[in-house]
Amino acid sequence: MHPIVRLVNRNLTISLSPGFLIWQVIFPLIYIFVAGFAYTSLIDRVPFGGRDLDYPAFLATGMIGFNIMNSTLVTGIIIWNDRRHGMFEQIMSGPFTRFHYILSSVITQAIVGLVSAALIAGMGYLVYFDQIEFNLSTVPLLVFAAVIGSVLFGSIASIISTRLRTSEGFNVIINTVFLFFAFVSTAFYPAGGAPEPLSTAFYLNPLTYLVDVIRAGIFGDVTEFVLVEMAVLVVLGLGLFVTATRLLTRLDF
Amino acid sequence: MSCIAAQSLAKSYSGIAAVDGIDLTVQTGQIFGFLGPNGAGKSTTIKMLTTLVMADAGNLSILGIDAAKSPLEIRKRIGVVLQQPSYEPTLTVKRSLEKYGMMWDVPAQLRQERVRRLLADFDLTEIQNKRNEDLSIGQRRRVQVAREFMHDMDLLFLDEPTVGLDPAVRKRLLDYLKDRAGAGLTIFYTTHVLSEAEYICDKIAIINRGKIIAVDSPEELKRRFGQEKTIKINIAERDERIRDLLEDITDCRVEFDSGTEVTIRSEQSSAVLSRIFGILKENDIEVEELSAVPTSLEDIFLKVVSDAPDS
Ligand SMILES: Nc1ncnc2c1ncn2[C@@H]1O[C@H](COP(=O)(O)OP(=O)(O)O)[C@@H](O)[C@H]1O
Ligand SMILES: [Mg+2]
Repeated sequence: MHPIVRLVNRNLTISLSPGFLIWQVIFPLIYIFVAGFAYTSLIDRVPFGGRDLDYPAFLATGMIGFNIMNSTLVTGIIIWNDRRHGMFEQIMSGPFTRFHYILSSVITQAIVGLVSAALIAGMGYLVYFDQIEFNLSTVPLLVFAAVIGSVLFGSIASIISTRLRTSEGFNVIINTVFLFFAFVSTAFYPAGGAPEPLSTAFYLNPLTYLVDVIRAGIFGDVTEFVLVEMAVLVVLGLGLFVTATRLLTRLDF
Repeated sequence: MSCIAAQSLAKSYSGIAAVDGIDLTVQTGQIFGFLGPNGAGKSTTIKMLTTLVMADAGNLSILGIDAAKSPLEIRKRIGVVLQQPSYEPTLTVKRSLEKYGMMWDVPAQLRQERVRRLLADFDLTEIQNKRNEDLSIGQRRRVQVAREFMHDMDLLFLDEPTVGLDPAVRKRLLDYLKDRAGAGLTIFYTTHVLSEAEYICDKIAIINRGKIIAVDSPEELKRRFGQEKTIKINIAERDERIRDLLEDITDCRVEFDSGTEVTIRSEQSSAVLSRIFGILKENDIEVEELSAVPTSLEDIFLKVVSDAPDS
């Protein structure tokens, strides 16, 4: 087996704990089915690409992006744990290179991201099945979102994990950053309804771009703006990935 | 063929030399002891030899492979137990051995066999289902050493593997290493405990302040530094004259405690002993107890290290 496959195998083994699965599956489900319907009395319809979506459908698609982002916590935690518990050095003294290590992290997060996205997309189907505009670009756009979202947010998690050594610092920072991404985005509510400075802030946030792409895929409305958003995600994702790789390569023992 | 060949290997951290130009030759099949006090440069040397850290200067060849050119090729053939603990906190002991074997591409069936053997050999069977994060430091260390034997290797590096182990476990580990070396494994073993090095090593290098100050077999080191005997005299009553009397004896070093004990170290112990007897008798000093034992290698080690230049 290729060294990267072996590392991915190991990464999945150590990160797929019951706690993590609950976090990844139960939490979004509660959001979609409880919050989604509870808020329906407040937010009736959400305008989207010339038509109206009902709120649970809007929220469920936002949750796909949210879940892709959250799944990349996995990588941050693996890298951070590896450094803290000596496994980074141990792996680097074995039949692996730093490139293997970094690439295996990316692949791990892409797998977890894809599975999460598929899971939420599948469960969310119950709430948006009557509004979905399934077409040729739906699946490719979801896969694109899962992969680029994983690389982008995974790189952010990796960067944070290489900078911080204490567990309190790591958890506080990473949760704060991700909380900010989650709530200052269009994952939970449309930008249209928000007051001006906030709705601009939504577009300084890669999660907004990610959920826009996902919604375009599911509700069949790939505009030029969405293409621009995809380009921004690719550029930003690659930039952050290069930065994360550099930082990881420079870590010494 | 020499398994490790290093010339003028050096590494500094922020301008301070951690390893200051060392030469090493380790023959295949040897257990090579790398002995030195804390901060001497042992771990830095291991990190260079295992290609974890690039040397600032010098040449290094491991298993005939140039470390600067093909570090990965070297790493594929060595085992490394670093000084720092390393473990997967959430995996059980058994599962972490298994996964480590997988990481080294050991076929599944062989992996199972090795896990079973190692759990028994390292006395881990009882704790095999405990998670690593729940182990004591000593248990974790044992798992870490055992785990390294999951894969095949030609050369094993161990950086102070016995720290934190109790004496019985320590002995068991040393015997295990001896067995493996007997079966052809070359081992590079660092420690700050000389008796350990003496027990398992075929050759010992003593390092201090980044420089190697002696390389030899344990027997030869003993012969070179170990002719010395320690003579202890307990006199019945405190006697002020004894200091002046004994200091006249040649070929020895005398240490007094405040009261009634005198310690004398000498390489000419029999001559010195008879002189002491003579002096004590002439002056009517009553001896309560007298002993002469070979100075322990531990003491020699301390002596060699403290005699080294600029310490
Ligand atoms: N990563 C590092 N950064 C700065 N100084 C270091 C580093 N590693 C080791 N040193 C210094 O190098 C010297 C040798 O350390 P080390 O090789 O760990 O010694 P030993 O293993 O013999 O105790 C020490 O003075 C130590 O402080
Ligand atoms: Mg050390």
